[in-house]
Amino acid sequence: MNYNWRRRDFLKKTSAATLAAMAAGAPMSGFLGSCSPKETIKSTADTVILLYMAGGMAHTETFDPKRYTPFRKGMESKEVLSTFPAIPTALDGIQFSEGLENIAQVIDRGTLIRSYVAADLGHILHTRHQYHWHTCYEPPQSVAVPHMGSWMAKELGPVNPVIPPFINIGQRFTVGEGEELKAFHSAGFLGSEYGPFLIPDPTSGLESVRPPVGMSTKRFEARNQLYERLVQESAMGEFGSDYQKESLKRSMEQAYRLLNSPEAKAFDLSQEPKEKYDKYNTGKFGLGCLMAKRLTEQGARFISVTSEYEPFFGWDTHENGHTRLVDMKKLIDAPIAQLVKDLDESGRLDRTMIIVASEFSRDMLTEGRPGAKVKDQVEVPDIIEDMKNYGMHRHFTDGCSILMFGGGVKRGHVYGKTADERPCKSIEKPIKIAALHQTIYHALGIHPETNYEIEKRPFYTTPDGEGVAEMDLLA
Amino acid sequence: MLGLLVLAFPAGLMAATLQNAGETFWLWRFLGRLHPLAVHFPVSLLLFAALLELFTLRNYAHKLRPGIDLLVWAGVAGALVAAVLGWLLATVEDYGGSTVDIHQWTGVATAVLGLGLLYFLRKTDGGTNPAAVKAFRSLLFFSALGVSLAGHFGASLTHGEDYLSSTLPWNEAEYEYTGEAISANLAAYEGTEALSEQKQVELVGKVRAVFAHNCYKCHGEAKIKGELRLDEKEFVFAGGESGPAIVPGESGRSELVRRIKLPKDHKEAMPSKGKLLSPDEIALISLWVDKGAPWPDAANEVSEFRVAELAPRRPNLPAARKGLSQPIDIWVDEYFETQSISWKEPVDDKTYLRRIYLDIIGLLPSPEAYEAFQKDTRPDKRAAWVETLLNRTDDYATHWMTFWNDALRNDYTGTGYITKGRFAITDWLYTSLRDNKPYDQFVKQLLNPTEESKGFIEGIRWRGDVNASQVTEMQAAQNVGQVILGLNLKCASCHDSFISDWKLEEAYAFANIFADTTLEVSRCETPIGKKASTKILWEELGEIDSTANRSEKLEQLATYLVQPANGRMYRTIVNRVWKQLMGRGLVEPADEMDNLPWSQDLLDWLASDFEDSGYDLKELIYKIATSKAYQQPSVGVEDPLMLVEDDFVFEGVVRRRLTAEQFSDGVSQYIHPVFDNEALKYKPNELAVAEQATMPFARASLVANNEFLKALGRPNREVVSTNRDSQASLLQALELTNGTTLNQALKEGAQKWKEKYNDGDIIIHETYRKLLGRDPHQNEFNVAMEVLGEDPSPEAVQDLFWAVLLLPEFQLIY
Repeated sequence: MNYNWRRRDFLKKTSAATLAAMAAGAPMSGFLGSCSPKETIKSTADTVILLYMAGGMAHTETFDPKRYTPFRKGMESKEVLSTFPAIPTALDGIQFSEGLENIAQVIDRGTLIRSYVAADLGHILHTRHQYHWHTCYEPPQSVAVPHMGSWMAKELGPVNPVIPPFINIGQRFTVGEGEELKAFHSAGFLGSEYGPFLIPDPTSGLESVRPPVGMSTKRFEARNQLYERLVQESAMGEFGSDYQKESLKRSMEQAYRLLNSPEAKAFDLSQEPKEKYDKYNTGKFGLGCLMAKRLTEQGARFISVTSEYEPFFGWDTHENGHTRLVDMKKLIDAPIAQLVKDLDESGRLDRTMIIVASEFSRDMLTEGRPGAKVKDQVEVPDIIEDMKNYGMHRHFTDGCSILMFGGGVKRGHVYGKTADERPCKSIEKPIKIAALHQTIYHALGIHPETNYEIEKRPFYTTPDGEGVAEMDLLA
Repeated sequence: MLGLLVLAFPAGLMAATLQNAGETFWLWRFLGRLHPLAVHFPVSLLLFAALLELFTLRNYAHKLRPGIDLLVWAGVAGALVAAVLGWLLATVEDYGGSTVDIHQWTGVATAVLGLGLLYFLRKTDGGTNPAAVKAFRSLLFFSALGVSLAGHFGASLTHGEDYLSSTLPWNEAEYEYTGEAISANLAAYEGTEALSEQKQVELVGKVRAVFAHNCYKCHGEAKIKGELRLDEKEFVFAGGESGPAIVPGESGRSELVRRIKLPKDHKEAMPSKGKLLSPDEIALISLWVDKGAPWPDAANEVSEFRVAELAPRRPNLPAARKGLSQPIDIWVDEYFETQSISWKEPVDDKTYLRRIYLDIIGLLPSPEAYEAFQKDTRPDKRAAWVETLLNRTDDYATHWMTFWNDALRNDYTGTGYITKGRFAITDWLYTSLRDNKPYDQFVKQLLNPTEESKGFIEGIRWRGDVNASQVTEMQAAQNVGQVILGLNLKCASCHDSFISDWKLEEAYAFANIFADTTLEVSRCETPIGKKASTKILWEELGEIDSTANRSEKLEQLATYLVQPANGRMYRTIVNRVWKQLMGRGLVEPADEMDNLPWSQDLLDWLASDFEDSGYDLKELIYKIATSKAYQQPSVGVEDPLMLVEDDFVFEGVVRRRLTAEQFSDGVSQYIHPVFDNEALKYKPNELAVAEQATMPFARASLVANNEFLKALGRPNREVVSTNRDSQASLLQALELTNGTTLNQALKEGAQKWKEKYNDGDIIIHETYRKLLGRDPHQNEFNVAMEVLGEDPSPEAVQDLFWAVLLLPEFQLIY
């Protein structure tokens, strides 16, 4: 073939699909050519908000309560299934655990999944399960795997070009297992362009999208003008266009737009009326929900708000499970319910999917699952004398709850069931990560066969494209 | 007639309901498949009736009349039956596509026309009703047309759309073999005489290559769709769910040939994913089938994938010419001649100096260095300066740490550390680079490691159970394969590869070398109750004693792999170094050394010369950096994908963006250190001899990864990485625009500069001279002066720094 390899039509043909094709972190080989699937799926959602309960949220203590056994000294640990009484919800016959009254009132606007089954990865490591939950691939992998948010960013792009398509709120990486957390907060082979825009702390979210600290808007604009004029005067013009230069220029313009745009105010929580702000303000997580709401109003694609993973903090209760969960529920109950209500009332819930999930559940006795028990990480006495032993301290993978609202998800629907006696495992319609991912992608109109060729083999959104979208979750 | 209607509807309904019930009732399937038989009746009967009707145009009551009436009755009945059966077939057998739709509706229309036909036939009253006769005749001719059309589309479905038209002389072009590789050679297999065994081997080899690249993904060992496998002879002939895939000698009756010819939107078209086969590939397979699908056993010895030579090769260096004496340039000149490319003027001193500084030590030349270089009058000054830079051992080592840390996934932090599942090799790596350890020794120490160098083959151990293909022994096999040998064992570590000839057992045999015991083979995560032997991928390099313990096995492996006989390993490293300096390897991707280089001679020569030099990496860099080829003006590409295209044409250095480390060090050199010494994760000075100069600032390659470096493209090093992204992104631009790391360095630097230089015009000149190696042009100066003024504020100085650092002229190695 004899063609000029600098020709323009090549660029036109491929660049849209292949920008950032050479992925950082990924062994670059083969090339990324998206296989265009045959039929298109009609999407029911434009935006996904993932509210992530990092550290393992016990289902029997939250959205799937079982028999309540109040604390008393000398009680047998095997008696304990739930450490909270159950409360009614807006759905007949469906109960939540005490402390989730607000979410209980809005659950009729979404679907409650009670039968999520996490993977067997052996001796439990939270970050490995989180990697698996967010990428659908079990670590380690021989190529750098993209986060689900990166798939959405790559396949669908931003909703509003000014707002980054993948925003991650609330996770710091300076905590224990920080490196493991970084391993999946990545666009992997899709290229850094599709990686997460990180806002570790929503209260200082604005700092991520405004001129550097101490720089006035006027100076910021002047600086940008200086840059643009110097680019024009620079001798590099003689080299003509190439992608590094073009992408640099384009990115700089985008960054300038974001930092200087009215939409950037979405990151500024102080713009919210005080009354609303207070409703959300249960802490960092609640404010993350508020930011997610504001970003959704400006046109976001994928936002992840996490309760933040830090070993032995948050949902990761290795002791004092009961008392700690009182606080955790206070942290999440009001803002999640408020977010659902606000989006529903503004009509945005129709095209926005909210997901509340965790990497696995917890139990007082079973580590792993029945039949696939793994090494215990917490000593649990047979007889509980001390309040600190009262709670779900082991990692349980066989029955977890997930909430889904909006974006085509059924209203007032309950999916799956767990056993009422220990082990409280999924006994109806168990659903795994690949099916869950495919369901979310389906709602977004991302075809299950979407794949890229990496090192000459097809790499799908889920391993080998496995998992079928669970249509029973969608209206 | 009504009876037929009554029959038609329930049958259609039943078929529709049964379709969802999973297993279709055998009778519906059977009846459906009678459709192709049944269609012949209405076609011939109605056509014949229409033909005879022509004879009766003058006299309706012709003696043929009773016969015609009978033909019409039978024909219409046949059409109805055929339509019902056809509907069944389409429903139960999963047909689809536009041709099916057209066929279906022409068929149904014909059946409906037939009913009208019968109606008017009865109305004619033996010809006494002229209006009815007219209607009858028109309908008859329409029915004849309809039945022909339906028949035609039906035939297109079974035989392919161009079954008929392709035989027409004026349509020949469509099946002319247009592809290069295949078409040029197909003629050799055509003709009526029997093929020699040699020719048969060649022919089936080509066919298998098409299968391998287009079909194995779904019809191979890993995935067996439709119960069909195409990766081995017995499976190809065994066929699959729909019966035999090929009928030797009869491509027209071969299911495989039929389906590869179907249009893309047809449900049965193959390949069902990805692109369809090209016309010449289809022609090739058809020809092979028509020739009786020969597959002599000897063919199984021939690979369907390109495999590079293992042994070294010493091409004879052509004589010096055109004033070119450097061997690299002589080879490049030969290449340029074949490509009709002419040499351009070498780049000027300034460009050259910046290039060698960044490529060899990762730093920017100082204004003083630019000046000294320009004033140097020695004719060989470029070579002399390259040598000087190569001799700045610490700077050289620090710069190349970036490349090797990525490739050997050595990081100062990272996954696995929390469970002691990962070991750093930093000390060993730095020392090896600083001392320019011969590459054979370097590899030997990675493969048969000491405590200091064991991290590479020990891999990363996550807590818990990992996939069989990710146990540390298999990681070692994959990483040694990828980095040291330029081959991809990742597929083969799960199942027989469909992108190369490597088999699952070979991958395990190689991994066993890194194992204390013998690993149990797992295919796609399922143990198959089998253990592989213990072998190097190429047995000719030597035999591993499978009974030996791990360290003995590793010693044997190290000794065997670094032999000169392993030309592949040395081609791999010279290609990598070439890529680091030239922006694009002779072979791309550099991890896949079986791909064709743009100059085999140059690659082979570099590798053998590398051996002759005693595996001296600096000597290799010296040769490349002093070649005329390296001094050609740089080349830009509009899309990074072009760099991995097969038809890439080398013209000179490909422009690259500074790495995160180079960018950061550039700022540190002249403005203010981006990282303080506390950030250093590795302090080589503790190792180095006392008189070595202390580092003026913390070089970025020695600090732990952080948001700033990550945004600028330093990978996580969870997996081997041999390529940095050269593309800017929004996240990067945001980090550069308002990230605290850069902002802080520039702010402090501006203070310092203000105190030191004070005046606006000095600061502007110094900024351009230090960062870009030149004075500003008048226009640039004016623009900057507008912002700075005679007595600039530190903020204005900071903003000038920022703007200049983000110019493509600073960001690119050109």
